[in-house]
Amino acid sequence: MIAYIANLGVLLGIAVILASSLNLMVGYAGIFSVAHAVFYGVGAYAAAKVALGVTDSFLLATAVAMFVSGAVSFLLAVPVLRVREEYFVVASIGFQVVASTIFTSWHAVTGGMGGLAGIPPARVLGWQLTSPVEYLILTAVCMVLVLAFIAVLVKSPFGRALKAFRDDEVAATALGKDPLALRVAATTISGALAAVAGSIYAFHVSFVNPESFTLDYSVMILAMVIIGGAGSLAGPIVGAVFITAFPALLNFIEMPSRYVGPVEQLIYGASIVLLMIFWPNGLASVWRLLRPRRPVQAAGGGTER
Amino acid sequence: MAALDINGLRKAFGGNVIIPDVTLALEPGLITSLVGPNGAGKTTLFNLITGFLRPDAGSVHYKGSDLVGLSPQRVTRLGIARSFQDLRLFNEMTVFENVLVAQESSFRLWTRAAACRHTDAVLERVGLADKRDTRAMDLSYAERKFLNLARIMALDIDLFLLDEPASGLDGPSRTTFHMLLQSLKDEGHTVLLIEHNLDIVREVSDRIAFLNKGEVMAFDTPERIFANERLTDLYFGTAGRPAEAESC
Repeated sequence: MIAYIANLGVLLGIAVILASSLNLMVGYAGIFSVAHAVFYGVGAYAAAKVALGVTDSFLLATAVAMFVSGAVSFLLAVPVLRVREEYFVVASIGFQVVASTIFTSWHAVTGGMGGLAGIPPARVLGWQLTSPVEYLILTAVCMVLVLAFIAVLVKSPFGRALKAFRDDEVAATALGKDPLALRVAATTISGALAAVAGSIYAFHVSFVNPESFTLDYSVMILAMVIIGGAGSLAGPIVGAVFITAFPALLNFIEMPSRYVGPVEQLIYGASIVLLMIFWPNGLASVWRLLRPRRPVQAAGGGTER
Repeated sequence: MAALDINGLRKAFGGNVIIPDVTLALEPGLITSLVGPNGAGKTTLFNLITGFLRPDAGSVHYKGSDLVGLSPQRVTRLGIARSFQDLRLFNEMTVFENVLVAQESSFRLWTRAAACRHTDAVLERVGLADKRDTRAMDLSYAERKFLNLARIMALDIDLFLLDEPASGLDGPSRTTFHMLLQSLKDEGHTVLLIEHNLDIVREVSDRIAFLNKGEVMAFDTPERIFANERLTDLYFGTAGRPAEAESC
């Protein structure tokens, strides 16, 4: 039971890192991407390669993974971010499809559908990780570091410039801000942070294959950000917990086993639809309802019911 | 040397020629008002100068280099800043953040204390110091106008292009605005102002450029422009004082 909870905790931590890093793009830079699983995957493969061929040092493998994934997202961002928002969504789907194909077909590097197996247990500062609880601790530490970094980033001049663009792109440009440079930087950082999750995953499961980094999962990460509430620090955390833990909770409902799958999916899907109807600003905005009312917001106003 | 030298500027949208030919040289350290009937191409001219629109022909020389073809952010960094008629504040941000974000470098992880001090000084200057932590969307109309000004005053700017900064201001706010403009001028800045209210134009301008159908009909001192009956007829005869339809 402890192992089950620890494993769920690791997956949750990974989801929080992925959703929070994507939130930098979606919530702060205003870039909607359905390709975040690619950077998660590139990170996982890069870490796996390092672990299999060079060293079992988690820190080193993660550093390489972040660099490679950051570089890939940079190379994607420079040409593609020149297009307008809605086109970028479509372009990101295309990128996800291309990446999935590469994960599956580039046998020499990725091992194809069979993936890369036999990744050694992670070593952190001389400490060899073996039990799920140890991985949970590692995940928690990484998650806190990533969240702290994002918190510093969004409060920094860089984060403020991103928010300025989100509020009014024309005005931000007129004040001398470079939209392309800011967006490329946000995308690169976001990709590098997603690689942290990829590295944890590779060491934890000791096996990577393309099935973990599909378009489906990219959509789920985006759903976490939106359901939780884009543009806040708490939003993606709440969204990641909801998306990851909700199916686990549904397991506890008593029903004949052949109905479990479909019923779970129906409840899951319907609750997402209902959430978007009633709380379009995300689950994390619910607490605002409990505070004394502020003047009605000019735009959106989804929390005012 | 002129603070800004506009030569033979032309802009058409499809077959519709908005600016057939504008030639205008701004004298440094003076406040020039751009007046003219609705649809004369005033805001379009701002967009052409600041890189938001690319002219079909002509040049805009500033400190020896041609601005045509530069991006808006490059033009701003060279020392020309504009304000918008519809303000375009960062509504979700506080007054302080609106001004702070304008002047600080984007690629920095820590906010510099000097930037904060500079921001506070600018807010003090425009009379928004006590609204420092109010969100922009919660400000009154006049306060929003002054925040719009504060944002570009925080930049290192020589030439201010202000699109109807005083429209809708009441008496006391107008006085404050007038004093602000005067202080910009005293510091040696050049100002190009779009303004419909002729009382304000008369009060603040050193020069007036009269724009009609995308051409500069007259460029002179306020006394001479207001004495020219043909121009006043054209101004009041063509349009009363409706809001300008064009925008960025």
